Amino acid sequence: MTDDDRVFKALADPTRRFLLDLLFARDGRTLTELESELEMTRFGVMKHLRLLEEAGLVVTRRSGREKLHFLNPVPIRLVHDRWIDKYTEHQVTALVDLKHRLEDQP
Amino acid sequence: MEKIYEIYIKTSPEALWDAITDGETRAKYNFGARVTSDWTPGSTFEMGHPEAGALLGEGENLEIDPPRRLVQTMVALWSDDVKREGATRVTWEIEPVGDSCRLTVTHDELADDANPELYGGWPMILSGLKTWLETGELLTTPGSLRYT
Repeated sequence: MTDDDRVFKALADPTRRFLLDLLFARDGRTLTELESELEMTRFGVMKHLRLLEEAGLVVTRRSGREKLHFLNPVPIRLVHDRWIDKYTEHQVTALVDLKHRLEDQP
Repeated sequence: MEKIYEIYIKTSPEALWDAITDGETRAKYNFGARVTSDWTPGSTFEMGHPEAGALLGEGENLEIDPPRRLVQTMVALWSDDVKREGATRVTWEIEPVGDSCRLTVTHDELADDANPELYGGWPMILSGLKTWLETGELLTTPGSLRYT
């Protein structure tokens, strides 16, 4: 599986997107904190977090006895630059061309 | 508050270190802003662009261990809002992994309600750095060359 595949697969699940939103709102949370926001077993949340970590979307740091989870938005940016910007750019270019054509009309 | 940004780049630690500390190279992926310093421990650095008028940022190089670790204070100067945030800390760590490097940028000593402008640019900067080192091309995403 390529890096992009792992990112798309990780994002293709509402629970994992919810976990990313939780970390976006406040970074550096423990498993216990994240688990309290979900109707799911601790094991289930761990499994989702592991997939997010494998995709590089979550990084962890030890702080004493606790493991803290941080959102790493960089892989989403890479997917954006590689896959999304490429397509939206054409729409922007088309609009700019249209603007020029209309403005150049006598 | 602490923010962590991690990226894998297919390059050597030396080339990555040079791309981070060379002013002209930095401008290619850092919104067009150059970073100048003599990169000795305790030295200062300035981030700016000749045409931007005022400096965009400045700080001190607290730790310099090429090509592995760079710790800096960072004072953002690009608007009155960010100036009020004062000094924060940026730690660059380079770790070789196979034929690539893992670059971790930890931005901490941020206020709990810090202005997202302080750290929001990192994904675009790191994406541009990866593109530059791996392909020799510039990232042309809107905004990525703001100060060129």
